[in-house]
Amino acid sequence: MISVPFTKATLANGLDVIVHEDHDAPLAAISVWYHVGSKNEREGLTGLAHLFEHLMFEGSEHQPDGYFGPLQEAGASLNGSTSTDRTNYWELVPTSATRLALWMEADRLGWLLPALSQDRLDTQRGVVLNERRQSYENRPYGLAQFAIMDALFPASHPYHWPTIGEPADLAAATLDDVRAFFTRYYHPGNASLAIAGDVKTDEVLRHVEALFGSIPAGEPVRPIDTPSIVARSQRFVMEDRVELPRLYLAWPTPGLFEPGDAELDLVADLIANGRTSRLYSRLIHDRRIATELAGGQTSRELAGTFQIIASAAPGHTLDELEAAIYEEIDRFAQDGPTTDELDRSRVQAESAFAFRVESLGGFGGKADQLNAYNIYLESPDSFQTDLDRYINASGDALRSQAGRWLDRRVAVALAVVPQGTSGDPLRDAARLDRQAV
Amino acid sequence: MSRFERPSPGHPTPIHFPAITRTRLDNGLGVWGIAHRRAPIVTATLLLARGSGDDPIGRHGLASLTGDLLDEGAGTRDAIALADAFGRLGTQLDIDVGPDATSLTVSGLARVLPQALALMADVVMRPRIEAADFARVRELRLSRLRQLSRSAATMADRAYVSALFGAHAYGHGALGTSASLDAISIDDARAFWSAMYGPVASTLIVVGDVDVAEIGAHVDTTFGGWREGTAAPPRAVTPDATPDRRVLLVDRPGAPQAELRIGHVGPSRLTPAYHALVTLNAVLGGQFTSRINRRLREEKGVTYGARTSFDFRRVAGTFSCDTSVQADATGTAVADVLDELDRVRQDEVPAVELDAAKASLTRGYVRNFETAGQLARAAVQLAAYGLADDTFDRFVPGVDVVSRAAVHAAASEFIRPADATIVVVGDAETCQAQLETLGRTVELARPEF
Repeated sequence: MISVPFTKATLANGLDVIVHEDHDAPLAAISVWYHVGSKNEREGLTGLAHLFEHLMFEGSEHQPDGYFGPLQEAGASLNGSTSTDRTNYWELVPTSATRLALWMEADRLGWLLPALSQDRLDTQRGVVLNERRQSYENRPYGLAQFAIMDALFPASHPYHWPTIGEPADLAAATLDDVRAFFTRYYHPGNASLAIAGDVKTDEVLRHVEALFGSIPAGEPVRPIDTPSIVARSQRFVMEDRVELPRLYLAWPTPGLFEPGDAELDLVADLIANGRTSRLYSRLIHDRRIATELAGGQTSRELAGTFQIIASAAPGHTLDELEAAIYEEIDRFAQDGPTTDELDRSRVQAESAFAFRVESLGGFGGKADQLNAYNIYLESPDSFQTDLDRYINASGDALRSQAGRWLDRRVAVALAVVPQGTSGDPLRDAARLDRQAV
Repeated sequence: MSRFERPSPGHPTPIHFPAITRTRLDNGLGVWGIAHRRAPIVTATLLLARGSGDDPIGRHGLASLTGDLLDEGAGTRDAIALADAFGRLGTQLDIDVGPDATSLTVSGLARVLPQALALMADVVMRPRIEAADFARVRELRLSRLRQLSRSAATMADRAYVSALFGAHAYGHGALGTSASLDAISIDDARAFWSAMYGPVASTLIVVGDVDVAEIGAHVDTTFGGWREGTAAPPRAVTPDATPDRRVLLVDRPGAPQAELRIGHVGPSRLTPAYHALVTLNAVLGGQFTSRINRRLREEKGVTYGARTSFDFRRVAGTFSCDTSVQADATGTAVADVLDELDRVRQDEVPAVELDAAKASLTRGYVRNFETAGQLARAAVQLAAYGLADDTFDRFVPGVDVVSRAAVHAAASEFIRPADATIVVVGDAETCQAQLETLGRTVELARPEF
C-alpha cells in the first residue's frame, strides 16, 4: 500500500488545509493551489491567469517589496505555475521557516491588491512576453502545441487558446482586469493549502487559523460550461526554423481521472514512449525512418488530449511515418497488449509511484500532489487509488480504449517543416501561417 | 506580535551528510554505499572519470557516441531486449557523458537492485558495439546535431565554449560535429571503450533502502570479473587562458530574442576560493534576487530570466552570464551585464546584501540532500573531483566565514569583464548596430555542428 497520511480541516471561510507529517528531514513543504487557470479566461483576455501568477510574487500589503527576498534569505526554494486548470505556488523551507512561508502565502491571498501597481503590471507583462518568446516563439517546433490545441478544441472552448496567452491580449490587460480576476478567483473557498514535512499537525493548524482565518470568504466559482468536442480530421502544414520535418497526430480524449484516462496513458507508453515502445522498435530501430518519437495522454480537467509525435529521418516522408503509426495503432486496437507488455507496465507504474512520494515539496512533491487530489477528487490521499487505475487496467480495456479514441479518420495531423519546404510535405494538408498561430 | 509583522525565519537544524561505506574490489572498482531509508527505492550510479574531454583530436563526440552504444546491445541481449529488461524492473538506464566524467544511472524499487546491477555490469563490461548498431546510432546523432543547430541556446553554448577553450579538451560539445562523427569508425568506439572503461577509473555509488554493509560483497559477484585494464590518463590539462575579447554575433534571421553568453574561463572545482565564489555568484546572478536578474527582469522586463554561474570542472571551468533578451534590448542588456560585472569588482558588496546571499546558501543547504537521487549526485561530485568526505559538512561553516573583503578579492581575481567573450545569437539586422555601440569588434560567427 502506498499512503500519505494526512489531517484535513476546512476553515470557516472555506479554505481547505491538509497537513502531512514526515520527520525524515528538517524541511517543510508548503503548497497552495487556486482552482483557476486559463480555462477560466475568455477570448480577448487570454493569458491573464498566468500574468496574474507573476504578480503574486511582486508584493502584498505587508510584504510590499517582493516575495523572493525574505523567502530565499530563509533558505527557501519557491516557485509557481499556471496550467489550463489551476495555479499553484510552493515553498520548500527549513522547518524553522514554516510559519514565515505560511505568513507570506496568507498575505498575498488576503492583502494583495494594495501592493498592485501599474508599474508592476507593465514590467511583468514585459517579462511574460519574453517568456513567450523564449519558451515558444524562438524555440524549434515551439508553436506546434498552440496549433494543435487550436484545432482540437472549438473557439468557444477554453482549451482553444494557450495558457501563456495571445500577445495582443497580454498587451491589452488592465489593472482593473487584474483586480477583477483576483476578486473572483483568489479567495479561500477556491484554494487548497497543503503542508508536508517536519511539522506538528496541531501547531500548524493553529498557525493557519491565525494567519488565514480572518480572510473573507468569496463567491463560489461555478464549473465552466463547455461546448461538446467533436473529433474531426484536420490536416495542417506549418513552417518553422527547424531541420527535420515532424509529424504531430492528436485526438481529444477523456479528461483527468475519467474512465479511459489511465488506460490511454498506458497505451501511449506501449505504443510510442521510449525504447520499449512498439513504434521505437519499428520506426527508429528496425526501419530507421524516424529519428525522434514521443507519445502521451495529457490529462486535463475538462478533457484530455492524446498525441504521437515523430520526426522523419533524412530521406523519409511524414506520409510514410503517418502510415506506419496508423498501422501500429490499428494492430494494437485489434490485438491489445501482450501479457509481457502489461506486466512491464504494471511494475513501471508501481516504481513511478514509489518515486512520487519521495520528495516533500516542489512541483510534483507530496504537498503538491495532496492538493491535486484534494482539488480534483476531494480526497487528498488518493495515491493508491490512482495507482490502482494502472495496476488494474486490463489488456482488453487498453485495446478497446485505443480503438475507441485513436481513430485515424478523426485525427488532427500537423506537419512542422523546414522553412521553404515546397510541395505537399503531408498529404491533403492546408498551409498554416505561423504568424496566425 | 502583530498579525502583520513578518515572522523570523528561525534557526534551521544543522544536518550532516550521511556516512559513506566504502570498499574496493580486487580489480580496483570503488564501491560506495549510502543508506537512505525514506522510501523503498534505490539509485545506483556507475561513475567513470572519463568524458568528452577525453575525445581524441579530430574525433570529437567519440566518448558520447561510445557511451550511447553501450546499451545498444550487451551480453546476450540486443538493444530492444536490453531496454525491455530494464523496463521489466520498472527502471531504465540513463547514460550521461559530460566533459570530465561518464555516468550510468538506474533508479528503481530497492528489491530490483541485484538484477539492475547485473544488467549494468553487462552494459559496461560486455557491450557488443556491433556494426548495425553503430551505423544506426551515428545516423541518429547526425540528425540530432542538425536539430540542435536550430536551437538558439545550443548555438550560443557551442560558440561560447569554442571561443573560450579553442582546441583545449573542453572546447567542444559532447556530441561532436557532423564532420567529426563522419570521421569516427566502429573501431574507434571499440578502442575508446577498451582504453577508457575499466574498474580503476570507476566508482559504483549505491544510495537507498539497502544494507550498505553487504553491497561490496554483492557487487563483487557482478563487477568482480571486470578486467583491470590500464586506464589511460585523462586528457584535459590546465588550459592556457588567453582571453578572447570578441563580440561574436551568430545570425538568426527574424529571431524575436537574442540569446546571450558573456564570460570567460574560470577556476576548477578544487579552487581554494570555492566558498567565496559561490557566495559571490549568489550576489551577482545565482538566484532570483541576484543583481543581474533584478536589473534585467524585475526592473526592465526585457527577459524571462538572467543568471550567472561558475561551471567548475576538473582542471578549469567557466564563468558565464546566460540570458535571452528581447531583440531590441540586446545592446543595453549586454552593457547592463558588463556594468554589473564591473560594479561587483569595484565596490565591496554591502553587508546587508552579502548576509542575505549567505543566509540563502547556508539556510537552504539542507534542501540539497532530501532524496536518494540528490545524495547520489552529491557523492558523484566527491568521486569525480576527488573531494574529501566532509566537503558538504564544511559548506555551511565555509560560507559563514566569507567576508566582504574575501568576496571582493574573489571578484577581482575571477570576474574579468574586460576579458569577457560576448556571444549573441540573434537577428543580425536588429542586433549588430546595437552591439557596435559597445566599442568592441563585432564579428559574425557560426558555431560548428
